Parts: sequence; structure tokens; C-alpha cells
Amino acid sequence: MARPDPAAIAAGLGELLGHRVEITGAASVGAQRSTLFIDIHDGATATPAVAQISSSVINAAPVTQEATLLGAAHGAGVPVPRVLAATEALAGVGAPALVSERIEGRTIPRHILRALDDGLDGDALAFQCGEAMARIHAISPSELPSELEAMPCVTFVEHYTELLELLPTPRPAIRYGLRWLADHPIDASELTLVHGDFRNGNIIVDDGLAAVLDWELCQRSDPMQDLAWMCTRTWRFGNDDRPVGGFGSFADLRAGYEAAGGHVRMDALHWWMVARAVWWAVGLANQGVAFTSGLTDSIVLAASGRRVPELEYDLLRLISDGPEF
Amino acid sequence: MIDEPEPTALLEAMASTLTDQVVPATSGGAQHAARVVANLCRVLARDRAADAEATLLALRDLLGNDGTAPDLVAELDQMIGRGERLDEILPLLLADATRRAEVAKPGYTDHGAT
Repeated sequence: MARPDPAAIAAGLGELLGHRVEITGAASVGAQRSTLFIDIHDGATATPAVAQISSSVINAAPVTQEATLLGAAHGAGVPVPRVLAATEALAGVGAPALVSERIEGRTIPRHILRALDDGLDGDALAFQCGEAMARIHAISPSELPSELEAMPCVTFVEHYTELLELLPTPRPAIRYGLRWLADHPIDASELTLVHGDFRNGNIIVDDGLAAVLDWELCQRSDPMQDLAWMCTRTWRFGNDDRPVGGFGSFADLRAGYEAAGGHVRMDALHWWMVARAVWWAVGLANQGVAFTSGLTDSIVLAASGRRVPELEYDLLRLISDGPEF
Repeated sequence: MIDEPEPTALLEAMASTLTDQVVPATSGGAQHAARVVANLCRVLARDRAADAEATLLALRDLLGNDGTAPDLVAELDQMIGRGERLDEILPLLLADATRRAEVAKPGYTDHGAT
């Protein structure tokens, strides 16, 4: 899909916000959404903000749903950017757009990890992430949009088994992971709001946790899924001795989670670590398939296909040895 | 006939050229693409040096037949789906994933448990 013209985006955002909008930079331009820095001009004042423009070809959750969830999270005491406006179809562009306040701090994972050498307390950050997760998981079901996707563990196994069948070549290691998940059922009675993508890369960090970003993968699921994803090895960016995002210890994540009223179930955490390794392995394999099938000529997506063995190794080690903590 | 430089040496040289000359001279998406291509060149150089036969031999041993690699992998996949011989299959899969993960990212499997 051709990227929308920046002038058209600025005009559409101006109409949405009722003020003149100037695009001042791009935080990231991804396959699924672009994150732009903008200034909202009101007379002599310019308010810095962030606009996320989704690709209209991706079938993601509605951004108005994301805005509702951000409001609920704010009410529950989770640090999040305040939403200024949201629309499913930006005028003149047609794509979904979400505008929120700009929160200063580090978002690039390697910059966050480098800050550990400059005095950032990674264990305190892990504790704060645990607190934020517990607050997300405590949000009342009555505050959640009724159309929010439900992904209990049984549905997860069924869904990813179907996706595995769609891959053009057999992936015995991923099959093994799904088989293990089916053979080791966990208590599935607790379903809460789950962020779904709470990891190093989707947080803003100043001298601690300043904001939790990217709420588009929210679902009703097992709360242990969020803790598992935060501890997934990919998001440690090589700092393997610090399982929480490469910056903190699991003990501190757990202490923060429990201090804010959460309850950790280790068997479910283990289950979801295997499940999210399967999830990410299938995701990377599908990026490679998008290249081999001719859907894209992106060398970046082609390279993703070659990362599948890392996730296969991780999931098999998790099955054979369990988590390291 | 053998043409020189041989492929592995060329792949290493391509990676170095991209890293040392193209990456510093570019920015944004083009720079990212150059980094990705340089990494892929190194992956392919390691791929050529990897022991491609080890998994095939282990599969033949486990399944007791001399089928081709695609047939044996498909048979293994079906056995796992049926839940058969899972304890014997795990070490084979782990050894294979270890070899392939080291091709993708050297040192990745030095870290034991995840």
C-alpha cells in the first residue's frame, strides 16, 4: 500500500483536532502503523503530541476501542498517554488514527538498556512494570468493550494449530510446542484484560516507567500471559541475565505485581512463555512466507523467516528445562 | 572447475562492504536495509559451513527408514501431532534447533535455559 501523503495526514489531523497540525518528525514507520510527532497549533501555543496512523490494510482492533482501553487503564492508575482524539477513518486519508499526548523519555530498547549504565534502576523498573500489569489485570470487566477478543488458553492452542497448518512447510518444533501446550493444561478460569504486547519496546522510560504504549493487541485472557511476554528472551535484546526486558529480575517484577494485588501462578507463567514463543515463531515464519509467496519484496520480512530457529530453540528449552526463574 | 573467490569468502566480503561502506553513507530505511542484508550475508556464510546432514541422519535413525529429508520431516511432524514418541523426539529437535539457531545468531545457544 502506498504511504499516505504527509500533507494529507496533517490536513486530516487538523480537521480531527480542530486546530492546525504540523508534522515535526517520525518516531517509527512500521508495517502496521506509523507513529508521528506532531505540534497542535492553537494561536501562539504549540502543543506537542503523537499521532498513530494505522495501515488500513491490516485487520486490527478498532482504534476507538484502544482509546476506551487507554481511558480505563488511566483510571486504574496505569501510566499511559492521555488520548486527545481517535477516528476509524482520518478525513482525506481513510486510515484509523489515534492522537495522544506526548510523554518524554526513552522508548528504543537499546537506549533503555544503555541507561542502566547511567544510573537507571532496572530492578525498580521491573517492579513498576509488575505494578502496572496488576492494575491492568484488575480493571473491572464492566469497563471493557464487549467486542474485545477473548483468548483463553484452549482457544490459543486451537487457533495456532490452525495457523501452523497454513504454513507451506512442516515445522516440527512448533508442532511440538503446541502438543506440549495441549498436554499440559492450566487452570483457565481467570480471564482479565491482558495488554498483549507489554514488553521492552512498548514502554516509555525516564527515571522509571513513564508510560505503557501500544494497546492494540488487548484481549481477555490469562493475566500470566503479560508477565510471560515481558520475560520472553527476544525482548531482552541480548541481556539474557536480566529476564524482565533485559533490565530487571523476575523477583522484582513479581514483587511489584503482588504489591499491587496480583497473584503469580508459576505453572501458567511457564505455559504462556511456551505459548508466546510459539506465537512469535509462527509470526516470524509468516513474515518469511509473505516474502517467499511474493506478497512482499521486503528484505526485512525475508530475514524474519530466518529468525524462526531462535524461537524454536527457546520454546524447546522452556519445555525441557522450564523458565530459569 | 572451481571459481575463486569461493562463495563463503564472497559473502563475508559483501557483508563487510555493506557494514563498512554502505551503512555509514546511508540513513533511515536504506541504512536499516543495508544492515539487514549484511547480516543475511553472514547468515548464509554460516549456513554453508553448517552440518546439514546431522538432522537427516538423526531422523533416519529415529524413524528407521532412508527417506528423503522432506518426507522424514513430514513423518516426524505427524508423529508429534499424534503424541507419539515425544520423549525421544525432543532431543532430536533441540539438537536441530541449536544448530540452526547458531547459524541465525552465533552464541545464541550459549545461554542455556530461557
